[in-house]
Amino acid sequence: MARIIGGIGTSHVPTIGMAFDKGKQDDPDWKPLFKGYEPVRKWLAEKKPDVLFFCFNDHATTFFFDHYPTFALGVSERYAIADEGLGPRKIPPLEGHAGLARHIARSLVEDEFDISVFQDQPLDHGLHSPLTMMWPTQPDWPGRVVPLVVNVIQHPLPKPGRCYRLGKAIRKAIEAYPEDLKVAMVGTGGLSHQMIGERAGFNNEQWDLEFLELIERDPERLAAMKIEDFARLGGNEGAEVIMWLIMRGALAPKVRKVHQNYYLPMTTAMAVAVFE
Amino acid sequence: MSYVFDLERSAAGLRLNRFLHSLGNQESRKRFLEKPEEAMLGLSEQEKDMVRRLDWKAMQDYGASFFCLEKLGRAKGVSNPQMVAAFRGETLEEFLKTRRVPGAR
Repeated sequence: MARIIGGIGTSHVPTIGMAFDKGKQDDPDWKPLFKGYEPVRKWLAEKKPDVLFFCFNDHATTFFFDHYPTFALGVSERYAIADEGLGPRKIPPLEGHAGLARHIARSLVEDEFDISVFQDQPLDHGLHSPLTMMWPTQPDWPGRVVPLVVNVIQHPLPKPGRCYRLGKAIRKAIEAYPEDLKVAMVGTGGLSHQMIGERAGFNNEQWDLEFLELIERDPERLAAMKIEDFARLGGNEGAEVIMWLIMRGALAPKVRKVHQNYYLPMTTAMAVAVFE
Repeated sequence: MSYVFDLERSAAGLRLNRFLHSLGNQESRKRFLEKPEEAMLGLSEQEKDMVRRLDWKAMQDYGASFFCLEKLGRAKGVSNPQMVAAFRGETLEEFLKTRRVPGAR
């Protein structure tokens, strides 16, 4: 049977991918970020998950506001790298685990999570800006992905508690998949940042560190909060951390955080954490 | 919340956002960079004016999604910190003074 071996929470700031593509590993401005991902890379190399289940958001790249899904699950064998205005990043296309993804889609709908499904769509930096920090791209990706796209950019957004419960339903679905697969959950986004309005440039390190504690020890408390609370504390765009709650909901009630890194260089607090 | 991209803003900005979104496509982007007026034919005069002047604040207030504005930013070589500075009514230099690692961009 398939099983969940742990989870990763990570920011998905586009500049993380750009720093990687420009080879800024030794640039003093970026070194603290790359250092922070080394233990994650090592954890994945040792645990060797077959599949990374990615909870992330599209940035009006693949999906547009003429039809913007709240939760959309990718069920393809393969996903191209999206063009976001600079041409696609020069990394291999992503391999999807279509069998697992289709099973999860059926299981979620059976559980009354009436998600959308998509196939044959390119994916943007929401997924692969953190991915290249964690998984080698050469000679090819070491495993496959299942992408779950969440609307965190056009209100109304899904409730934090709904995200958490969706994570639980995903766990149930994965554990009922007959193939022997190791799956790691990845929740992306945040931490505090606001890109728009008068409060653009807002950060809140104190709240970020509290969030990193609560997501480990008391996710129920985060799940009980309102989206407005997340926006007030972490900035409007920072409210996207509700996607970490999907990841956390899919883990066991008690987890241990085995790694954490926090770096706030510019507009967005860049964090990464690993849970077992 | 100080600013929310909700269904009202989304409706108001739909035509502009559709144009901005199209710049994620290489052919549309090439046409815009080579023949901007031709590429903007479907926009209103007000929308064209804001795009020509790269007036990030005006486009935001009009209903442009930040994530659609990013496509225009990338096409024109404008970074996110430059856009954020514009929303704050600051120059890039002023904004960078408020950041911990101004070189990380």
